[in-house]
Amino acid sequence: MTNHRMTEDHELDLWREQWSSVALVSPEFKRQVQERIKVQNRRFWLGNLVALAALLGTLILAAYQITHYTSRLEKGQATGVFVLFFVAAACRLWVMRGTWRAETQSVRAFLELWQRRVLSRIRGLQIAIYLAIGWLVFCAALVAANWATIRLELMAHPAALSAMMVVIVVMLPLIWRGAMWFRRHKVAELNEVARLLEEMETMNG
Amino acid sequence: MLVKETRRELERRFERILNEHGAAISRLAYSYEAVAGIREELGQEIALAIWKALPHFRGECSERTFVFRIAHNRGLTHVRRRRPQQKSLDDLEEVDEPVDPRPHPDEQLAQMNQRDRLASAVQSLPIAQKQMIVLMLEGLSHAEIGEVLGITETNVRVRLTRARKALKELMGVMQ
Repeated sequence: MTNHRMTEDHELDLWREQWSSVALVSPEFKRQVQERIKVQNRRFWLGNLVALAALLGTLILAAYQITHYTSRLEKGQATGVFVLFFVAAACRLWVMRGTWRAETQSVRAFLELWQRRVLSRIRGLQIAIYLAIGWLVFCAALVAANWATIRLELMAHPAALSAMMVVIVVMLPLIWRGAMWFRRHKVAELNEVARLLEEMETMNG
Repeated sequence: MLVKETRRELERRFERILNEHGAAISRLAYSYEAVAGIREELGQEIALAIWKALPHFRGECSERTFVFRIAHNRGLTHVRRRRPQQKSLDDLEEVDEPVDPRPHPDEQLAQMNQRDRLASAVQSLPIAQKQMIVLMLEGLSHAEIGEVLGITETNVRVRLTRARKALKELMGVMQ
């Protein structure tokens, strides 16, 4: 009987020892994730603030241009900017659905929020590319519609306009490269979040 | 001012409780829920329930008993809420063809280590036995288990023996 009792107690001790490591996420892992989430959260709100400031600044500038400038070309350009930024803001708000706050206060919920935010940035970039193409088409149409005025300007200041054309031609591939770098960066971030989620799943058993 | 101080005091107590019993709450949630995401939500629900009940705790029992009682009640509510979607083990056995694309359960179980076997066995126990076993594994005395579950110490002894036997059998099956 005594022997049986001891065996049982040993068994219970063993079970307790094993049980104590069940469903535990290591504190170090939790700390690391929380630190990254904090940084990501700061970046998210800072990015939104910068975007809001850029939107307001451009809208004020465009409104000033529409009311103070008289030429059809400038008014058309300002109106285009106005519309473009409104559409861009609406698209940004649309892709950011479900990215404002976590569903619960758990680490997992924050990781999922991070994942949704990265996905929304990638979608936002795709939309931005379409908007940029739309903007180029609009500019081409505006130039065609105001060609008489532009031609006079071209003849008056050929060097300045040529320089501007060169800048535009150089800028376009640079912007494209920047966009592609941003995309790669976000895809890498997405993989990292997926890895963290997977790691957490493994720890939780 | 007095209300503010009480709230601060409560917050401190709550934080201390979570620090001391947070791991046990996670394990208890584990025994009630196998899906990691939902399990974490259950852990949050338990913490919230403790926070709500904390102002009414007058020290009639130990803090540990208080925490486990709330945690088990939340666990039970969770199981009741999920029950209609779940099938009993008997129902599962009646299914002729396996629909799960993962390896055969026997193969999966063979790969499990001791800890996983114990954890899976605890998850598979019927609720009443699961409660007894989890509290025992968390190191509660018979008297404390009785307090948490509202039964006598003698009753705890009897039920615990049965639960332990069932756990051993389940672990044996999983070997």
